[in-house]
Amino acid sequence: MLNKFYTEMKSSLEAAYQQKPRAAIRVTIQLASTFVEAYRADKNVVWTSFYSFPMELLAAFDVTPFDFEIAANLLPTFSADAAVEIMNRAEEVGYSTDICSYHRLAAGCDMLGYMPRADLLLSSSYFCDGKAKTNKTLADRCGKEAITLDIPNKISRESVDYVAGQLRRIAGRIESISGQKLDLERLRECIRVSNRARRAYEQLADLQKVSPFPYIGVPVINMSIFGNMLAGKEIQEQIYLEIVEESRKKIMEGRLTPEKYRVLWLAWFPVQPTVIRQIFRKNGVTIVMGELARNYGGRMDESLPFESLALWCLKNPYVGTIEQRLKGINEIIDEYNLDGVVHFSTDACRHSCAAQKLIGDVMKERNIPYLVLDGDMSDKRKYSPERTEMLLENFIGIMAGRK
Amino acid sequence: MSDSKAKMGYFCSLVPTEIIAAAGYEPVWVKGKAEMTAAADARMYPNMCPYIKSLFTDAAEAGGSAFDGLVFARSCDGVRRLYDVWQAYIPSKFTYMLEVPKNADDLAVTYFAAQLRDFASQMGKASGREVTVPTLRKAIKDANAARSKMRELYNRQSASPLPMAGSELFMQGLAILHGDGAKGITATRKKPVAEGAAAGSRKKTRVMVCGNVMSRPDIFQMIEGSGADVPVADVCTGLRFFERIVDEKGDDPFLSLAEAYLGVPRCSRTAAPAETYARIRDNVNRYDVNGVVLTALKFCDQQLYDIPYLLKKLNDDGIPVLFVENDYVFKDKDRIRTRVEAFVEMLES
Ligand code: SF4
Ligand code: SF4
Repeated sequence: MLNKFYTEMKSSLEAAYQQKPRAAIRVTIQLASTFVEAYRADKNVVWTSFYSFPMELLAAFDVTPFDFEIAANLLPTFSADAAVEIMNRAEEVGYSTDICSYHRLAAGCDMLGYMPRADLLLSSSYFCDGKAKTNKTLADRCGKEAITLDIPNKISRESVDYVAGQLRRIAGRIESISGQKLDLERLRECIRVSNRARRAYEQLADLQKVSPFPYIGVPVINMSIFGNMLAGKEIQEQIYLEIVEESRKKIMEGRLTPEKYRVLWLAWFPVQPTVIRQIFRKNGVTIVMGELARNYGGRMDESLPFESLALWCLKNPYVGTIEQRLKGINEIIDEYNLDGVVHFSTDACRHSCAAQKLIGDVMKERNIPYLVLDGDMSDKRKYSPERTEMLLENFIGIMAGRK
Repeated sequence: MSDSKAKMGYFCSLVPTEIIAAAGYEPVWVKGKAEMTAAADARMYPNMCPYIKSLFTDAAEAGGSAFDGLVFARSCDGVRRLYDVWQAYIPSKFTYMLEVPKNADDLAVTYFAAQLRDFASQMGKASGREVTVPTLRKAIKDANAARSKMRELYNRQSASPLPMAGSELFMQGLAILHGDGAKGITATRKKPVAEGAAAGSRKKTRVMVCGNVMSRPDIFQMIEGSGADVPVADVCTGLRFFERIVDEKGDDPFLSLAEAYLGVPRCSRTAAPAETYARIRDNVNRYDVNGVVLTALKFCDQQLYDIPYLLKKLNDDGIPVLFVENDYVFKDKDRIRTRVEAFVEMLES
């Protein structure tokens, strides 16, 4: 079913791209193509976490990456009801509804046989406990090895060495499932390519400071989640440069949508259809940044490939104490001339939501309107359009009162 | 530091208490507040595990931590974030976040040993008593001795009739965790296993309790009150805590501690579900158990994600199981009791 879904999605996106060649469509085509490829019998398929695993390491091999969370959780975009039916299957065998819908949906898809074959299953410890746990269960079900890339909570010589050591071992495991030796020079090249893409992304991040915002906020957030799938590949830089070009063109031609309020979006953006975009459009609200949609990792040193990739993981805003996350949030506020901050509080995402009130206190000190918007990424049963509308309208009212 | 020992609180059984003791502190497992209030919800996302909320509630209502220091551990996303909120809102004399790897291979052990050295150094600075190799070796020996006594008691529980009521054994273990030391241990049954039943009477139905953190005997008492025995409690604050024995002869005591704490028994935070299930199966055989009460704290992802897998395996192997989600303080005792009674009745029939 997922295979068919992504095959059809790929064709329709390709047709759309023919009509309107846009970079945002191209990145989604890449996503769909990668998922379709994962179903091919002649491919070595490595399940992983696109947004938290250093994908440059996989790019150094001829393997097909697959992310069970993202693959399963694009379904609600098209049918929230079908997604609920699949989640029901997982709940019937004991998956509690207190578990993140991302994983209930993935577990349901797996039970129904929708997932592709896995040759190796990788996850990281920091996004999130649930992902690493689901990875282990799914690995058990298909009789393959699950590896958790364990990311400590602090940056030190020891923690970098520890993560780098794990990455070396993971490279060894990929060698054994693919029969391909790691070519260190190729890995270094992947890191160089990734650095270039990051520089391109920084250009976009700079353009996002322009008011009115020249691009669309949600794709920017999404790209920070699944765009990392392409890290280490030339196409990532090309796509980012195309977005920069499209944005510059819009600015030059004066084709910018009028903007009244600029907000920073914290945590994730729901994949199921919601009223959020519609309300924002109606009220001239633009999401100008997401907290992960920045080059928080800086430039990587290709001469120390494993250590550099380790450091990229360790610098993630969700690793470490809340200071690491708050530092990023405060920097965005300083740089992006914002009117407000929205924290999307998806049910069961404990690590992103736990300190949302603490972030609120910091926002209060900074005199920035702050909204905790509760809902759910994928589970329609935990989302109320009325409540979302009410919370957003109130929040927009607060921002308006300060203009 | 004065002669009466200062108390160092810790939350997770992955924290090596030996290091705390070697620094001259009394290690105390913090159980949190017995009654849940809204104090935590005012500062924290409400859908956090109730143990975490009870810890926060207790300290928030008291206006600060009652301990001379607190050791957090990277046990789960929840505790990681509890640390953030705690640092911001709870006045505490000393806090430390211990890096506990999620893996258990040689890389993780080496990294953990290095973290334990830092932990020992910080503990020593806080107490004014440096942790040296001899003091640490002595603390390891003492802890092993205290745990061994409890292990012996648990070992005896494979006998029938049951030597000691499960609720009583569990509470003795808790007393040790609360810092009452080995002095709290008694090897004789003080009270009948079930109301009105004499020790050594007919062979009773035997139920094992498996799960994570628990600080009350409610579930044991419910099972015992239904007429069954609880030979073993494989929970963080039960058998698993006392089964851990650290090598006293290793060249490097930090490495020995790292190996022991990342080694078996492992809870579902570190173990793959297959390992968790293998342990349940072993204990079912070892303690001659008729049924399993699998329990998990609400919102504890570490445990909840394993439940479907464990339920399926137990069912496939024909081992009767009852899954009970609990809120740590057992507010819905009556509802749980009804389910437990029905389960025991089913086992007996
Ligand atoms: S939303 Fe949160 S809990 Fe759910 S998969 Fe993502 S990081 Fe994990
Ligand atoms: S019970 Fe679970 S969620 Fe709560 S502290 Fe322990 S591991 Fe974390």
